[in-house]
Amino acid sequence: MANRQRKKAMTSSDMDLKPFMNLMVVLIPMLLVSAEFAKVAVIDIKLPEARGSQTKQAVTEQPQEDKSEKLLLTAIITDSVVTLGAKGGFMPSLFYREYHHYVAKDDKEDFTVEFEPGKVPKHPKTGRDMQIFERYDIYLYTCDEQRNTLNRLYTKFNELVTNTAYEPVEKVNVGDTVLALTNPRRTIIVKDPSEFVLKPLSAYDELQNRLMKIKERYREAEDGNDIIIAAENAVMYDKIVQIMDKARASEFSNISIAKLRS
Amino acid sequence: MAGRAKKVPRSSDLNITSMMDMFTIILVFLLKSFSAEGSILTNADNLVLPNSESKKKPQEVNLQVAVTNEMIMVDNMPIVPTEDVRKIPADDPDPAASKLEEKLRACMAQEEEMVRVGALNAVQGKVIVQVDKNIDFDVLFKVMNTCGKVGYNNMNFAVMERDE
Repeated sequence: MANRQRKKAMTSSDMDLKPFMNLMVVLIPMLLVSAEFAKVAVIDIKLPEARGSQTKQAVTEQPQEDKSEKLLLTAIITDSVVTLGAKGGFMPSLFYREYHHYVAKDDKEDFTVEFEPGKVPKHPKTGRDMQIFERYDIYLYTCDEQRNTLNRLYTKFNELVTNTAYEPVEKVNVGDTVLALTNPRRTIIVKDPSEFVLKPLSAYDELQNRLMKIKERYREAEDGNDIIIAAENAVMYDKIVQIMDKARASEFSNISIAKLRS
Repeated sequence: MAGRAKKVPRSSDLNITSMMDMFTIILVFLLKSFSAEGSILTNADNLVLPNSESKKKPQEVNLQVAVTNEMIMVDNMPIVPTEDVRKIPADDPDPAASKLEEKLRACMAQEEEMVRVGALNAVQGKVIVQVDKNIDFDVLFKVMNTCGKVGYNNMNFAVMERDE
């Protein structure tokens, strides 16, 4: 008797899930159909007609007509250097070493190797040649002229840490005021130096740092939103896109592309 | 004996709770990735777009140019092998892939025709360029130059949105 009573109480507390199930069965296929798994975005490239099909002749003619207060900011990228130039001159070059991050298609082994032109990296275990489509990322680490990689501090959100003069720092003490490389820069007062990690300084981050400095100084320039990205023939498209990203992050939204003639 | 009789109806009870849990999680996940627009771009198997922080959504365009390691395609039609474009001398002041130019001119003529009959307001010269991330700048420049020459000056590069 007692048994039966308990059973009754239990069943009455059970929710009737059937309507909910019906709803789910309809909703899930519907959402599955309209789901977007890989999000595609676009980057705007502005090519004014006169600039878009600029030939060699047009380039040589340009300086004569140009007497305005234009900045003509240009990022020049070759296989080991990134340089920022403007009408007034060039900033010190940024030397970098290139590392490629591979993920093998077959055994998901992932590893990072330094890139050497003309050399195909080998799988660390099986020794086979890696395919180009297995390359996931390209890292550019800043180095000095002797090709020693420079390590600088990063926050735990992977933002570069600079001092108040906008120079990347190697060491911080308690009570220091530092800036994290976001747009606009975020001020941090150091409470615990161990919060920051020493990592190879990414050339992209240093580029953004410099671009933001330029932006601050030349906000009033006539072409203050323009940047020209000039690349060598062999530069990978991926690098150009990364640099475009950094340019846009530093509010140079009007991006055009040029070619370095050797 | 009585115990066995009891067992039979109980075993036919399906325990739905765990399935419900699963459904709820799937529902939340799918709601998150819901998009009303759908994707405008179709991309080929061997074309890996670079990752970017750009959040700009692709607008409706008339023309798609895709550059993979093997082929250059216009609106998913293979036009010219990428190798042929690489062979164009690098010091050419105005490099253009002739087959690609021909095809683009045909597209441009079509667009002009559409303006003439009133289906479009103006010739927009818009093109979305999908380029594999391992393509070198040389090829990209030649393709862009060809597009610019024909009159497609409004260029967009397709990229993968970084998920963060």
